[in-house]
This record gives sequence, structure tokens and C-alpha cells, in this order.
Amino acid sequence: MTGPRLPTSSVLMTPPLLAILAFGLAPLTIVVVWSFWSWDPLTYWIKPDLSLAGYAAILEAGRWTVIVSTLVKALGTALLCLLIAYPTAYAVHFLAGRRLSIILLALITIPFFTSYLIRSFSWRLVLGRTGVLNTWLQDWGITHAPLEWLLFSNFAVVVGLVASYLPFATFPLLLSMRRVDPTFLAAAQDLGAGFWKSLTSILLPLTMSGIFAGFLFVFVMVVGSSTEVQMLGGAGASIVSVMINDVMRVANYPLAFAISTIVLVVIFGLVLIGNRIFGLASLFEDQSQ
Amino acid sequence: MAISIQIDRVSREYGPVKALDDVTLDIRAGEFFTLLGSSGCGKSSLLKLIGGFDRQTSGRVAFDGKDVGNLPANRRPVNTVFQSLALFPHMSVAQNVGYGLRLRGLSGSTLETRISGALDLVELSGFGQRDVNLLSGGQRQRVALARALVMEPGILLLDEPLTGLDERLRQQMRDEFGRLHKRTGATFILVTHNQDEALSLSDRMAVMHRGRIEQVDAPARFFEAPANAFVARFVGIDTLLRPERIVATGNHAEATIAGQTLPVRVEGPADLAASVVAIRPDRLFLAPQGMPPALTLMVVGTTFRGLHRDLKLAFSDGQTLVIAIEADADIGQLSAGQQVSVGLKPDAAVLISSAGLPPA
Repeated sequence: MTGPRLPTSSVLMTPPLLAILAFGLAPLTIVVVWSFWSWDPLTYWIKPDLSLAGYAAILEAGRWTVIVSTLVKALGTALLCLLIAYPTAYAVHFLAGRRLSIILLALITIPFFTSYLIRSFSWRLVLGRTGVLNTWLQDWGITHAPLEWLLFSNFAVVVGLVASYLPFATFPLLLSMRRVDPTFLAAAQDLGAGFWKSLTSILLPLTMSGIFAGFLFVFVMVVGSSTEVQMLGGAGASIVSVMINDVMRVANYPLAFAISTIVLVVIFGLVLIGNRIFGLASLFEDQSQ
Repeated sequence: MAISIQIDRVSREYGPVKALDDVTLDIRAGEFFTLLGSSGCGKSSLLKLIGGFDRQTSGRVAFDGKDVGNLPANRRPVNTVFQSLALFPHMSVAQNVGYGLRLRGLSGSTLETRISGALDLVELSGFGQRDVNLLSGGQRQRVALARALVMEPGILLLDEPLTGLDERLRQQMRDEFGRLHKRTGATFILVTHNQDEALSLSDRMAVMHRGRIEQVDAPARFFEAPANAFVARFVGIDTLLRPERIVATGNHAEATIAGQTLPVRVEGPADLAASVVAIRPDRLFLAPQGMPPALTLMVVGTTFRGLHRDLKLAFSDGQTLVIAIEADADIGQLSAGQQVSVGLKPDAAVLISSAGLPPA
């Protein structure tokens, strides 16, 4: 045999590396590169001429407001999810026994066996004019007419988004709590800390990586979501995915990719900042020190 | 201020399992008290009840006579050095040590002084800014001690704190515990399965077994008068002989084993069915020629034990006993099957309860 033998490890590394290149990096590169090409509205044709027209078009027709409102929705949904997921993860990990924690985890996971479409639609039955919620509110005499803003509104969208993406916050939090030795909490208590003090001074700092991972997952999912807005949003409600879809219909790839690039840059920025501050990578480190 | 502890008829049940079974115990203020036992004996369960990390199923735990059943761990005058140490990994040495004091509202130079005082106490002066994750095992141990002692607790709980350390460090930290106990005057309660630690540190100790306390005494008493066969075995008195006859007159008695009679001190029931004769290996000697032998036994074999040598001898009915002899003793003439004469020093044999021994 001639030539150096490849070590087994690099042979094993090759397929996953190729997969990452082919399925991850290559499409991303195309997206970024094409966003700087030009588009002819007469022929719907794209040409490899360097142009910032795609980015300029973002500023037209209120497109940037959709981007901003999407980011705001993503931020709000992610924070709401964390607010609900943290106590949930705490209960599952620290309070529930083995059996109960498995049941709780199942209850969190099982709704995900149905499609986003069905789940979003089911909120119409809850939030609509004659939906469950409005019926109850009137039956109990809390309101006298159905609340109109419950459905086809930002409220409905956020409810749908939180319901859809809650587990993406719950599971990273659970993962990070599993890494916290319960003796740390006992030690804090031993030194005089009550529940809230040990929560804020011990558990929260030690689960920061999980908090940020949960935030990021929900944030990214919301930025990429469309079903909830389409099913539950009011007239003219939009979100980045819907807008990109609209632009793609006229084959304006540079504009669609410019929007995507902006969103990508925001998310990458978040990841980098988060990793710097919260040590995201530590969530996946080996548990044994 | 040292605090005394009263444990009154305390049980802790986990379903059908009794981790603690009707335990009654008084620990004096300022005492170094050890809970000794093998794993699963209930010693850690008892420690948790004192620390306030768990609640008893029945019974009463009191500090200085006052019931603390409703006092959560964070409001008890107790601090703990945990087995895993539980140093907060996101805090420096000084932040760890100062954690409890900050909760008490201390800050600024008062806080700094107290922290550096505690670090001086455990000989870690100047380590305040270090990362706790980068310390050696012994240093981490000292930080955990400083973190607990800086609170000036009335009671300090030590939950198997030396388990993870190597032998040299273990001895060093053991001496440290003794020194700090004298220095602080607090009530120290050590939980361990290590007899050496218990014997060398404790004013008194309790041997626990299956959720019950078998004996509470000063360390020396466990050898002079073990409460029963289990305790005798646990502290290393392995020779437990079943007598065939006991003649007792007051505190003096004679027991007959395989036809040979020897004097025994009575420390339990003088009853054939419920008693065994415990013989301390260090109180027996090979009787020189011409001296009237107390026992005549047959050599089974010897085992090298480092600083001494165990000589195993058998009675005619097959029961065996062990004598500790000098490691370099001339044992050339001691071949298996040979008859030897054995003399007894005072208090070599004690008549104790056979509880804990499988029925013959």
C-alpha cells in the first residue's frame, strides 16, 4: 500500500462533516450569496449582478415592521415560555417522584404527536366568539358579551405560539437542572437561605445555560413559524415566514434571501452573545468533572 | 454557644422500610459525638433529622430542650459539611465562605474580616479569590469547613467528610477536626463508617445497626464492655465463644468452653442461651514454659497483619480464637496441629449478650 493510512477517527468523521456541509452550510451560503443578486421584476429573473436591491426592498411596503414585530413576538413568546417552563421543570425534577415526573413529562410531550396545524386550529375552538372560554366567561357572569380580542389577534397568536413551543423551553431547563447537585440547594438552606434566596443565588445561576438554550430554541422556532399567525392572527397579520412565502411567489429570491439573511444575522448574534455570557456550551459538557 | 441535642423515641419510615427505629439519644453540649455504622444503618438519616433536611415519622428532636420539629434547616443553629462538600461551583472561595454571612446581612469590611478569619482558621489564608473548582481535595474540604464554621454554629454536622480523601490527607483532616472542635467549642457530630476516625476523635460515639442504636459510650468502653456480639464484632473483637457452662457469683464468673474453664467479667446476661464470651486478642499471650496455662489450644495457623501477626487457635470443640502476637515473633515451633498454652491478662474475657450473632 502506498500513502499514509487514514486514521479511523477521520474516516468516521467524514460522513457527518459532509452531511453538515451539504445540508447546513451549503444552503446557508446560497441564501446569503443570492441575497446580493439582482432581480428583474419584468421577467421574474435573477441575475448574478451584485446588488443591494433586496435589502433596499426590505425598507419598502412596511416589510421591516414585520421583521421587528416578528422579533418582538419571538422575544415575548420565549420569555413567556421560560416563565411557565421554569416552574414546570422545577416541579418535574425536584418535587415530583419518579412516577409523577414521568407522567408530567408525558403530558408535556404527547400534544406534540399532533400537527401544528391541528393544534393551532383547536385554539379557535377555545378562543372563538362561541368558543369554550367565551362561553364560560358569560356563563359565570364575568362578561356579558363575547370578548372579540380573544381570537384573530396578537393575543391569540401568542397563546398559540406559547402552547406550540413550550416544550422547547422545558426540556433544556430540565437538562440543566439535572446537572445541579441537589446538595447545593441543601447547602444553601443549611447556610440560612430560604426558598427564594436559594433559587436566585444558586439554582438560577447554575441553570443559566438551560435558560438561554430554552430561550434560543423558542425564539428561533417562533421566528420560523407561520401556522399560528395564519390560523390565529387577525386580518393582515404577518410574520417573517409568511412574508418570505409571499415574496417567493413572485420568485423574488434576492428579497426573500435578504430577509432571511437579516434574521440569520440576528439569531447568530444572539447565539454568540449568549454563549459568551451564559456558556451555552456547558449544557452539553460531560457531567463528570 | 454549644447546643445539646435530645433525640426522643424518633422513627423515620420510608414506606415499609424503617431507616430509624425508635431511637433515643442525648448529645451533650460541646461534645464530639460520632454516629458509627456501616452504610444503610440509619446514621445519615439521623443526621438529616438534626440538620432539618428531613422530618421524623414519629418522636421528637430538641435542641437545648426546645422542640425543633417545625424549624426548617435554614433557621436551625446547625451547619453541615456535606459528604460531597457541595461547594457552590459558580462562586469563588471567599463567596462560598461568605454566603451564609451575606444572608445574615453582613457586608463590607465586617464580612471581609470574618471570611479571612475563617480562611485563617482552616489554614487557607489568601485563597479567597481562587476558583473552588480548581482546588485540591484537601483544600476543598477546608473551604467546606470554613463555610460552615464561619457561621459559628452551635452544632456542626460532619457527614462522612473524609470519605473521598487519600489516607495521608484523611489523617491530616482528622487532626484538623479535633483542633477545630477545641477551638470553636461547638457540638460536633460526625457520621462515619470508619472506626479509626470515630475512636480517635469522639468523646462519645454511638454504634448503629438497622436503624437502631446498639451502644452509646466513650470509645474505650466499646472494647471493655461491648453491648452485644454485633458491637464486639463491629469494633474488631472477632473472637466470640459459646460457653457450655457459666458459674456466676456477683460480678465474677467462670465460663467453661470445650471443657476448659476461664474467668470472665460479666457485662451482659449470665445465661447460656443469651450470652457469648468475647475475648480481646490483645489480652492473650503465649504462656512461657513452667507457668500454669489458662488454656491449652491447638494451632490452626497464622496471618501476617503488618504491625502484628494473628495466631489462630482452636478449642477441642472446633471454636477458634485469635491472639495478636509480635509480627517478628519466633513462630518456627508453631506448626498447625500443635498444642500451645495460652495465658490471659486481666479482663481478657468478657461475658456479653449474644444479640447480633446468628443462632448456633
